[in-house]
Amino acid sequence: MPSTNQTLLRATRGLLWLMLALVIAAALTLVGVAIAVVVAWPNVVAKIQHMPELVDASTMRLPLGILLLLLIAVLGVAAYILRQLQAMVASASRDPFIIENAWRLRRIGWSLVTIQLLALPVHLMAANIAKPGSEFSEMGGLSASSLLAILLAFVLAAVFEQGAAMRDELEGTV
Amino acid sequence: MAIVVKLDDLLHAKRMTLTDLSDRIGITLANLSILKTGKAKAMRFSTLEAICTELECQPGDLLAFETER
Repeated sequence: MPSTNQTLLRATRGLLWLMLALVIAAALTLVGVAIAVVVAWPNVVAKIQHMPELVDASTMRLPLGILLLLLIAVLGVAAYILRQLQAMVASASRDPFIIENAWRLRRIGWSLVTIQLLALPVHLMAANIAKPGSEFSEMGGLSASSLLAILLAFVLAAVFEQGAAMRDELEGTV
Repeated sequence: MAIVVKLDDLLHAKRMTLTDLSDRIGITLANLSILKTGKAKAMRFSTLEAICTELECQPGDLLAFETER
């Protein structure tokens, strides 16, 4: 494998670890906030009631709690996608055209579908607790780029499946 | 598999080992072993030509078709 490709793979590996660390840190932060919403709601209200983009803080406990749970779930799925990508990058230095990578890409595709499905109630909850027109109220919802990414993941999975079958046949050729 | 590789019989007739054949035609012992044991999925014409040249045989002497029951 050319050295530029090796460098690219190393950079990708580092970037994926960094992204995974950020996702885990964000998820842990949200878990902390969710716990605070449950056990120390008056303190949370005191902190957020002066935020200009939020509606009445005292009435948003349930939607905020649901929103936090949804976001934690989204981050969990994102971490799963990153782990799948890490496994794919690890295999790329040996032989990327293996059937496991086709399965991984399909799992990534379904994970992206899950994120997109979670993004709809996220938008609903965000719109519930934020003032209309604010940046916060625009959170989640359908995204054209996400739909494109889902399509791309499934198409790539099919390509890898075909590639793995061809590689398998080539290896059995004498 | 319906296609049977009769490399063993041909080698026996020529009093040759698989290692000898591998050395003479330049195909690895591992690949020839795959061919001999019937585990190969495909065979290149170049491989067939090399084996036929070395063992002085026809492709039909090396390969046979057997109907599966």
